[in-house]
Amino acid sequence: MSYTVASVTTRRGLAAVDALLSRCGLRRDPLADYTCGVYDQEDVLCATGSCCGATLRCLAVDDACRGEGLMNLVVSHLCEVQAARGNTRLFLYTKPQSAGFFENLGFYEVARTDEVAFLENRKTGFADWLSQLHRADVPREQTACVVMNANPFTRGHRYLLETACANAQAVHVFVLSEEYGPISAAVRKRLVALGTADLPKVILHDSGPYIVSAATFPSYFLKQDQQASQVHAQLDLAVFERIARQLNIGARYVGEEPFSQVTALYNRTMAEMLPASGVDFRVVPRLRLDGRVISASSVRQPLHDGDMAAARAMLCDSVWQYLTGPEGQATLDAIRRTDDLIHH
Amino acid sequence: MTIEKSAVAGTLESSDAQITVEPAQDGIQLEISSSVMNQYGRQIKATVLDTLERLEVTSGRVTVVDKGALDCTLKARVECAVFRACGQSEKNIPWGGAVK
Repeated sequence: MSYTVASVTTRRGLAAVDALLSRCGLRRDPLADYTCGVYDQEDVLCATGSCCGATLRCLAVDDACRGEGLMNLVVSHLCEVQAARGNTRLFLYTKPQSAGFFENLGFYEVARTDEVAFLENRKTGFADWLSQLHRADVPREQTACVVMNANPFTRGHRYLLETACANAQAVHVFVLSEEYGPISAAVRKRLVALGTADLPKVILHDSGPYIVSAATFPSYFLKQDQQASQVHAQLDLAVFERIARQLNIGARYVGEEPFSQVTALYNRTMAEMLPASGVDFRVVPRLRLDGRVISASSVRQPLHDGDMAAARAMLCDSVWQYLTGPEGQATLDAIRRTDDLIHH
Repeated sequence: MTIEKSAVAGTLESSDAQITVEPAQDGIQLEISSSVMNQYGRQIKATVLDTLERLEVTSGRVTVVDKGALDCTLKARVECAVFRACGQSEKNIPWGGAVK
């Protein structure tokens, strides 16, 4: 039997993909940005797989066609698609019971939950990333962690870090590395560095592909239904468990989340999962200014509208100086050009 | 030759191998996974390193996912990945020189 691999774009083709996935107990990810199918000589769909950013997912082979190496065809094809996009560092989602199969295709498990296993195509990718993290030489109960997007870094973030510093000797701060929105990851991290320069307990890290990234938590970056977000949040925290063990983290601090649905869901999932893995989960009420909570989006809005006085009141002086200085000009321009500033 | 950008060649089908090359400093970093690792792991490594040496590639990260490829297949896939990685896959392939 000879098979052909092709991209699936038509409504009819995608309906066949959806039917195959549902026979295998899966559903097509609405975030998928590329879907392929393997067809036999009668043009019947026998296997499928999708890409979403640098991840491979929604991988399935029809029961009737097992044992013919069709998944190898799918993964080869998707790897080529990824290579054409310039992605060679790849991640893969599959059912936990299928993880072993993908280990024969050059993928290695990073973490798993009851519903999903998360793999990468570097044998020591996660281990290497863990070992380059700077550790603090303090006891576990004195080690805290904060993960922030800092888009941009506000007095609210600063307040959260001050709270963590008051209760710990070392505070690991992970700034999201994913590029999205008008403020680049490098600038976001720079602003955190400026805003925490006088907090010696803070240790800054890049979150890389392993914390709230397009690989571990794709729905964070898009409007998304709750079901997918929940699975992603659990997976993200399963990965975080290993990071916490590596850095000896005893507590994770988050700001209360009044606005963003996806962040609120992430917080709820943390409340369930972190204590089970021995990490205290601490929610800090948001800092208020004139009765209104400070959030990054409530700073982006006045920056966008040109209401500089309102923005300034919510930013640390060093951050303000950067944004209004020569280096910050490009970032300010980008914020002004962006219309959708709210995080869902 | 210098690995200027990442590139992939080959497939994961039986009797083939998928080779990924990426720029890196400090020599060759080779990672091999193979369905016949125990029987032929050493030979696969030797073939890949020989081919890279012939192409005068001195640094790069090279990942091999082998599905039982013969030496000639491995060699061809490594050559192809390297040429793609230095933008030579369309022209100037040194037939009879580095490629024998």
